[in-house]
Amino acid sequence: MTCTLGEVKQRADFIVYWGGNPAECHPRHFTKYTIMQKSKFLPRGRKDRTMVLVDIRETKSAKAADIFMQVKPGKDFELITILRALIKHQHVGDDQIAETGVTREMLDDLVQRMKSCKFGCFFFGMGLSMTRGKHMNSAALLTLAAEMNAFTKFVAMPMRGHGNVTGADVIMRWQTGYPFGITFNRGYPRYNPGEFSTVDVLVRGDCDAAFIIGADPGATMPQPAIDHLKRIPTICLDPHITHTSKLARVHITTAAQGISAPGTAYRMDELPLPLKPALKSPYPTDEDVVRRINKAISEKPFWLPEGSQPQMITAQV
Amino acid sequence: MLRITGGKIYDPANGIDGHVRDICINDRGKIVDSVDGGRTINASGMIIFPGGVDVHTHVAGGAMNFARAMTPEDHRRTQAFIRTQSRRSGLGGMAPTTFATGYLYAGMGFTTVNEAAVPVLSARHTHEELADIPIVDKATLTLMANNEIMLDQMEAGEYERAKNVVAWYIWAAKSYGVKAVNPGGVAAWKWGSDAKQMTDSIDGYNSLTPGKIVTMLATICDDLGLPHPMHLHCNNLGAPGNISTTLDTLKHLEGHRAHIAHSQYHAYGGDDWDTMCSATAQLAEYFNTHPNITTDAGAVLFGDTVTITADGPWQHLLYKLTGRKWGNLDVENETGCGIVPYTYRPSNLVNAVQWASGLELMLLIKNPWQVFLSTDHPNGGCFWRYPEIIQLLMCADFRNECIAKLPDKIKGRITLPEIDREYTLYEVATSMSAGPARALGLTQKGNLGVGCDADIVIYEEEDDVARMFSHPRYVIKAGEVVIEDGEIRETPEGREFLVKPSYAPETDEFMRPRFEDCYTMSFENYPVEIERIENPNMQECINANED
Ligand SMILES: [Zn+2]
Repeated sequence: MTCTLGEVKQRADFIVYWGGNPAECHPRHFTKYTIMQKSKFLPRGRKDRTMVLVDIRETKSAKAADIFMQVKPGKDFELITILRALIKHQHVGDDQIAETGVTREMLDDLVQRMKSCKFGCFFFGMGLSMTRGKHMNSAALLTLAAEMNAFTKFVAMPMRGHGNVTGADVIMRWQTGYPFGITFNRGYPRYNPGEFSTVDVLVRGDCDAAFIIGADPGATMPQPAIDHLKRIPTICLDPHITHTSKLARVHITTAAQGISAPGTAYRMDELPLPLKPALKSPYPTDEDVVRRINKAISEKPFWLPEGSQPQMITAQV
Repeated sequence: MLRITGGKIYDPANGIDGHVRDICINDRGKIVDSVDGGRTINASGMIIFPGGVDVHTHVAGGAMNFARAMTPEDHRRTQAFIRTQSRRSGLGGMAPTTFATGYLYAGMGFTTVNEAAVPVLSARHTHEELADIPIVDKATLTLMANNEIMLDQMEAGEYERAKNVVAWYIWAAKSYGVKAVNPGGVAAWKWGSDAKQMTDSIDGYNSLTPGKIVTMLATICDDLGLPHPMHLHCNNLGAPGNISTTLDTLKHLEGHRAHIAHSQYHAYGGDDWDTMCSATAQLAEYFNTHPNITTDAGAVLFGDTVTITADGPWQHLLYKLTGRKWGNLDVENETGCGIVPYTYRPSNLVNAVQWASGLELMLLIKNPWQVFLSTDHPNGGCFWRYPEIIQLLMCADFRNECIAKLPDKIKGRITLPEIDREYTLYEVATSMSAGPARALGLTQKGNLGVGCDADIVIYEEEDDVARMFSHPRYVIKAGEVVIEDGEIRETPEGREFLVKPSYAPETDEFMRPRFEDCYTMSFENYPVEIERIENPNMQECINANED
């Protein structure tokens, strides 16, 4: 259950940031979309909203919160499970609560506030989705939000990373069914994040070439992955000189998206926004370059032998 | 250029019922009287239909893409398309990927689809996805019935302004018409409540009721002259006893054109889940006496699917019934939508009633120009299973075999066992092509007359109806042979149909402050530019109030 940021801006009187540090990572988030906004339904803006922060450490965001709950590292899943029990008046033992680092009084207070709000929203950040049990944690929080709908309106929304990560994710999903971690090595999309993610493929040295757009893995990836990028023909499309462009065999300078190249950006809540270029660039756009490369490739012999027409796989194993 | 000779033609738009005739197609993909040269397809012993038209489906956009994200386990076990020189790779299944969607529709002889639920805010996304669905032509409907800016005008009694707002949104979203989902109910759901009856009050409004919204929006669609009338998903979807809401809704449409979406979900009697039964006879009777209204079945097929609708309250009900994972996506100021994976089982009495009700509506509504083939894909079943429904409609024996497998308690809850009607090929052609094309106001579709689009499907005649309809021998789209002997030969891009209803020029300035108050997107960024639509095809508005 999720919603758009506009819904939160308009209606949410109770906001929980779980494992995120919006004050530092998404500075515009507070002011533009969530707690600072006044609306038809919440005319006093910040005063009409309650904000809770759940995190393993006291970040800058904690200062902006009405309530800060410090959870022990790696205990998010347990804490969510306890909340799921408490909203249904199920018994939870003292030691189970003690393990999470939060007191029973705080939890009772939180449950009471969650149930009595008109529109509640969980934002969950990298802190929640990238720690131990990654997918389990976000799934548990989504379930908690779904269950809260027995009492009041509640939604949950992930806070994603920078750039147009969401856009790539959205398009990969409509073209292949999966958001990332995809391989086409059998001619159709298959998904396995721990196996087919870029970093895994590079570290294992599984690929013969790399084509990189709008990312700088040379700055962020582990050394074995970077070493492999240096070993193989790496092609990099980027408006700037980056770590990756320096190690690449080919760097094609392209126009900067949104500044001098048009396109669509997908916001964190997946709403599409047009990018309208303000400047003209002497460089081609990423799209131009990719189209020209595609055209050149299509003039080469196809990867399947002439006349062979694989149909489809009716059931995969 | 192409000539098709010797086939038996079923072309209900021109009253042709199984006559052998030649069809000629020119280089512009239109049907013409005669051609010189070019390829000839010998269709002797074959059956020729106009290409299928899906009047109500969900194939693209935020909700569908959300459904894809929620069903990775289905992607793993479903059919996969391997990339070839003419075809891109993809996955079929409950929520097919975009390229696969085009291949699957065309592979079944369908050449036009209507994406029935586009939230305005994410219309840009829907169009980007539609551009990645090859072969078929597309139309989209904008979700309007819970739009707060429009509702505020209706509440204030400002009919002209409400009409301008609707027209403005249709053009801003670059769509083809208006979809109304659960009028008033979705707006109320944003606060966790619902509006179920036509006279219910709506949270946040004083005098507005679902009934008033229905009548006003239908009037607006007629006054704007939209080629497709208001496309209505009635309130109280899926609930036992909802037939009273549906009939009451229909009364609010007297004197207007309207299309009622997936009426199977709106034709139940009984008081609760234990006493739920089919009330299709009452609903069919209404259609049989009101030719101004069309509908699509929203039939249910047993098996796995994922339900995705803009009806949040119904999705929440499903979640409570099944306890399975639930995704709900509320789009600011527009509407909500929810996603639940679901399995329809013959052993489940509620599902059995749903299965029978869909077929009953198709069989009890006498005029096939009024009731169309649909499963409300993916809600009642996946679109690529339509041939199974055709078989159930055409073969009473097969139908009775299926009924025999339902639980004993089904007796007295459905009327299907008493129906012996069997669809003829002519009626199938009406229900899957000519009828929906006419209801959509797409005069060049579902019609094999001279001047129409050469979208044609050719079947090898055989006794196994389901097999015949799922494996056409040839599919021709705009004069191009796209499927031949079960293989995808060409994958041309489709077009998108748009209308531009007129609205007062000051509407922009009227919308701006309200818009900026409601949304988190800047006003200038909101309307989808015409350049963003792949192969736009403008359709004219009509005079809908004449007859
Ligand atoms: Zn639908």
